[in-house]
Amino acid sequence: MAGEKVKSAKQKRLVNNIIVHIVLAVLAVIWVFPIFWVVLTSFRAEKGSYVSTFFPQNYTLDNYIKLFTDTTLLNFPRMFANTLIIAICSCILSTFYVLAVSYCLSRLKFKLRKPYMNMAMILGLFPGFMSMVAVYFILKALGLSEGGLIRLALILCYSGGAGLGFQIAKGFFDTIPLAIDEAALIDGCTRWQIFWKITLPLSKPVIVYTVLTSFIGPWVDFIFAKVICRANANYYTVAIGLWRMLEKEYIDNWYTCFAAGAVLISIPIAALFMFLQRYYVDGMSGAVKG
Amino acid sequence: MKRRLAILMAAVMGICTLGGCGRQEQSASGGVEHISLMIWAPSGDQSKDKGEWLQTCCNAFAEEHPEYDIEFVYGVADEATAADAVAQDAEASADVFMFANDNITTLTDAKAAAKFGGIYADEIIATNSEAVLDSVKVDGYIYGVPFTTNTWFMYYDKRVFSEEDVKNLDTMLEKGVVSFPFTNSWYLPAFYIGNGCTLFEDGTVEEAGVDFAGEKAEEVTDYLIDLLANPNFVVDADGSGIAGMRDGSINAMFSGSWEAGNLQEILGENMGVVSLPTYTLNGEEKQMMSYAGSKVIGVNSRSKHMVAAVQLAIYLGSAKAQSLRYELETVVPCNTELLADESIAADMLVKAQNDTFNNTSILQPTVGAMKNCWSPVELMGKGIRNKTVTHENSKEQTQAMNDAMNSDGL
Repeated sequence: MAGEKVKSAKQKRLVNNIIVHIVLAVLAVIWVFPIFWVVLTSFRAEKGSYVSTFFPQNYTLDNYIKLFTDTTLLNFPRMFANTLIIAICSCILSTFYVLAVSYCLSRLKFKLRKPYMNMAMILGLFPGFMSMVAVYFILKALGLSEGGLIRLALILCYSGGAGLGFQIAKGFFDTIPLAIDEAALIDGCTRWQIFWKITLPLSKPVIVYTVLTSFIGPWVDFIFAKVICRANANYYTVAIGLWRMLEKEYIDNWYTCFAAGAVLISIPIAALFMFLQRYYVDGMSGAVKG
Repeated sequence: MKRRLAILMAAVMGICTLGGCGRQEQSASGGVEHISLMIWAPSGDQSKDKGEWLQTCCNAFAEEHPEYDIEFVYGVADEATAADAVAQDAEASADVFMFANDNITTLTDAKAAAKFGGIYADEIIATNSEAVLDSVKVDGYIYGVPFTTNTWFMYYDKRVFSEEDVKNLDTMLEKGVVSFPFTNSWYLPAFYIGNGCTLFEDGTVEEAGVDFAGEKAEEVTDYLIDLLANPNFVVDADGSGIAGMRDGSINAMFSGSWEAGNLQEILGENMGVVSLPTYTLNGEEKQMMSYAGSKVIGVNSRSKHMVAAVQLAIYLGSAKAQSLRYELETVVPCNTELLADESIAADMLVKAQNDTFNNTSILQPTVGAMKNCWSPVELMGKGIRNKTVTHENSKEQTQAMNDAMNSDGL
């Protein structure tokens, strides 16, 4: 009797598991499908934007090779390098801004703390590109809209507003016990030392999160890059380059290269994520005893 | 001490100013003016593997004008988007740029394009046909140098259709598969315009509005519903037309000169290019009429070196430059002297584009209200394709399209 019950519970669990896994598998297929298709297209040997078969008839690496060798019309390597420089610089800057602002709002008590948080909340309600035209004219007045300074202009654009996005990191810092800070203060730490030597090492998950989001932002942005680069093709980012590949003059020849480019731009993000992933789990372990 | 410093500084400044004057005088006495000209053109015009048309022409221009010492700055902006970029901030834009004439009012509204007058206007007038000239005029003023016409026509497989067949779309559909960008509002109005529908009268009277209503439009909607039901008719969307040409499932398609190279590669000597066919509506032959425009070299109204910029624009649009561009990039010329040249006129692509421009097209209206005319037509095309527009409701749907085209709402 008891044995039967156990068995039926086991069976029940098995059936449940099967159903859950089937549902998950179906969802996974649906989600992965478009990515899989882009990857397949990037290896397609047939030209053109439209094909009647899902699987390419012939496979080739030429699309990737063309992307890096056929640079007279659309210089992909340079765009890739531009984007990488801009994304890395703005990632470092905005990560610092976000963490510093969050730390201040979480730990320091000052008069403007509440008003600042309210203001940030309200400003955050407006989409960033609303200020696009104004930002362009300000950059132009500063002489940053021509030549090599365009890169600097873009870095400023992407990192300048980062301080407003403190909410998540501040929420995380709030969970770190104040007792640790107090202990450090008694030991003679300055605020900066507490931030740098104590809070940050305890906050790896949120640092990872901040780094990832502040890298992806400039990496995939199109609007600001388009407005600020204008006709300066030497400073185009990959987003503009990929968009140009789909214009009617280029689409037939460049469509498969477009897919190859799309695969390539996912590599830095994926690499960064894989590298940072292991820090997602450590964090608070062992900070406070008892 | 302080006073000494002040005197010293004043002296330094004075010398600098004098030096500046001296240099200026020198350059004036030498007769050579040092100028910097920024030029925006599509990347194809500047790429090495297409022969660097732009650089070649600019250098030739500099040689012809020893009175200038020109530093050329090249930027990439294609004709479709250049006008927007210039209108956005003319001051920081190119002196000379290329734009599609449907954006001409964007430029004139922003007062960003310079008018051509005097000998320059005379030269443009002398070397272009009346229709091409009309495409670059606003209120009677010329705003640029046209260098090619911009329209679409028909490519077909000569093995499937004879020269007689391609005169009528319905004859073609009996013999082979034809694709048409049915859901693209740059193409679909061809049928409506062919049956007497008009946009802003002759395209310039904004107050007149759009006339895509009444029986003449309803007939076309009904024709289009039947056309879509024809098994030999395929909707060309997202590049399916050229893909079909490639695998042989489609025998004719509608597109512009930018597709010529690809089709040449696919069809080789079997490629046929011709102006638009007629279609048979209730037993009567109606001529399809495409939108046509031109691509134009414009000069920035805020250019610091206006004379040189205008001269350069004229040069880049001259017969010599157009002919080089035709050789390097197969950009169909529109200069009347060149078109009279037999070797160029014999090119079937040139012939098809010009026949279309002259006979089977209307000038695409450049009035501001034209912006309301795109989505309603696209919706009509999609509605017919999705079978939400049927013979039963075609009358109301056509009226709705006309109303939407005439309204200023979103």
